[in-house]
Amino acid sequence: MRTHEQMQETRYMSADRGETGAAPNEAPTSVTALVELKGVAKSYRIGDQEIHAVRDVDLRIESGQFVAIIGHSGSGKSTLLSMIGGLTRPTRGNVFIDGENIWAHDDDYRSMLRNQKIGFVFQFASLIPTLTAVDNVLLPNLLGPRNGRRPREEDAIALLERVGLGEKIDAFPSELSGGQQRRVAIARALFNRPRLLLADEPTGDLDEETEAEVMELMLETCRELDTAFLMVTHNRAMAETADRVLMMKAGILS
Amino acid sequence: MRLFSLAVQNLKRKPFRTLSLALAVAIASGAVFSTAAVMWGVERSLDRGFSRFGADLLVVPQGTLVGMRTALLTGEPSTFYMDGAIAERVRALSGVAKASPQVFLTTAEGDHCIIGDAFLVGFDPQSDFTVLPWLRERMERDMRPDDVIVGGRSEYDIGQTVYFYGEYFTVYGRLERTGMGLYDNAVFMRIDKAYDLAEASKRFTDAPPLAFDESQISALLVQIRPTANVDAVQFAIAQHPGARIITAGNVVTSVRQNLVALFSGTVFLTAVFIAGNVLMLSAIFSTIVNERKRELGLLRAIGARRRTLFGLVLSEAALLTTAGGVLGVAVGALVLRVYERTIVFHLESMSIPFLWPAVLEIAVMAGIGIVLALLVGLTGAAWPARTASVMEPYDAIRAGE
Repeated sequence: MRTHEQMQETRYMSADRGETGAAPNEAPTSVTALVELKGVAKSYRIGDQEIHAVRDVDLRIESGQFVAIIGHSGSGKSTLLSMIGGLTRPTRGNVFIDGENIWAHDDDYRSMLRNQKIGFVFQFASLIPTLTAVDNVLLPNLLGPRNGRRPREEDAIALLERVGLGEKIDAFPSELSGGQQRRVAIARALFNRPRLLLADEPTGDLDEETEAEVMELMLETCRELDTAFLMVTHNRAMAETADRVLMMKAGILS
Repeated sequence: MRLFSLAVQNLKRKPFRTLSLALAVAIASGAVFSTAAVMWGVERSLDRGFSRFGADLLVVPQGTLVGMRTALLTGEPSTFYMDGAIAERVRALSGVAKASPQVFLTTAEGDHCIIGDAFLVGFDPQSDFTVLPWLRERMERDMRPDDVIVGGRSEYDIGQTVYFYGEYFTVYGRLERTGMGLYDNAVFMRIDKAYDLAEASKRFTDAPPLAFDESQISALLVQIRPTANVDAVQFAIAQHPGARIITAGNVVTSVRQNLVALFSGTVFLTAVFIAGNVLMLSAIFSTIVNERKRELGLLRAIGARRRTLFGLVLSEAALLTTAGGVLGVAVGALVLRVYERTIVFHLESMSIPFLWPAVLEIAVMAGIGIVLALLVGLTGAAWPARTASVMEPYDAIRAGE
């Protein structure tokens, strides 16, 4: 895995002002958190009406911390998660990861960041249907800078064994249950040993028993890897195990 | 696993759609390949035929232009005669290097000719510069008066005996194939023997006698000195009453006109078909990108760069259309081979000479057909690929919610 220092050596970490025009290291706090949000907001315009999905959010997440954000559907929690993950651009404010303002850099930087430092687990079945379980887990290797190097199949198989799917490495998604598919997605999210795992309603469509299993699996592996874990959910019970629980309502985080 | 195999897997998802698109591209590339092969064959035939023809000018009787052109291109017998004295007068012109007379005759249907309606050409070995230099194979001795030379497509073997108007001849040699009918199909003999045949033909009552005598020739082939003014020589020859001058350019132009008439429609339709393929691919790949929006967004979330998605979509299109191109070229080659005789027959009926392109040329045309198919894929998928690459990952992931 590339270290943070190695990432800083890349051209993406140059002092250029990026697409937002903001300076890359503009005003992070003196003690660098893994994730820091300063005045992050997102609004949409629908016709004449401006919808404020996320309003001026400030947030710090330290390495290895488990933070849960709870809120109703449409409260803006998924949008917030996607801005932290570099998937959608904030209308205002800055998102710092390891002290770097990710939206001040170009798209290639954020792609690299997502590949190397961030893992995603989505609410929906997020596997590529034409690939086997092991190939789905190997996708970060295919898409990342290691493309062309050794395939690291043994790492992918080890991860699948870790999530209890050692017997299903060659199964296609259509041959797996919902819970099994979610486990494969978790294995894929953790493949590059990310520093931050972002989960958006990760157990939304699973039964209670599977939900508990998947949750336990994510927590355990995050602890093992010292990976910070940010989960958004509408399920209060699931959030109870978090180090910090935050509430999101009408775009405001409290 | 590589991105290439991901593209292959994606194509396998909808086999019917993939196959249909590949077939559509195959038809277009097959049409391009076949048309190019036939046109190239005609061009090759013209180049080869005229480079070996060796004559800069052909002097024929007035009013026989069409007949001479047909004889040259298809080898169809054509007989016409003029005063042979023109040969000496033309030779005497200062710009003329060589002038060789030929006389054309046809064989009669009957027991006294081995075959009826064959095209015989009498040539003068002393002054000839268009027949003897192009012998591909011959007997191991000098040519004798009762020898004949056959064209490149003749079925007669070297050493075989043939007979015309009761006179027996030995097949002495065979010319190289040129695609020009006259040199591929006719039987060449010494001009004095041709005059003998005219006399001999009068002995038979079951066919009209050959209607020429020793004072007449059918055509005079003229080679001009390199330093001479071609226009001046042409002008001087044209002063002879009853003479008409044909240049290689005249014949090539007429062939090209026929070629254009035959293929312009095909070329236009092929161009329309290719453009249709590009548009169809563009529309279908737009649908494919739309169908897979969430997956593409997911790949971005995992770390795919914009150009990676652009490349992925283009790779799928390139794979599909290249496969179609290969299929089209293969089927095109098969069709050309199966219908070879029919194609040649139709071309010759339109006075268009034809010689199959060489293997290397066929390979080049096949390559062009396949590259064209690849370009169709890349062009058609360029816009959908760009759309896929510029989508905001979050919007793509939420597609369908």
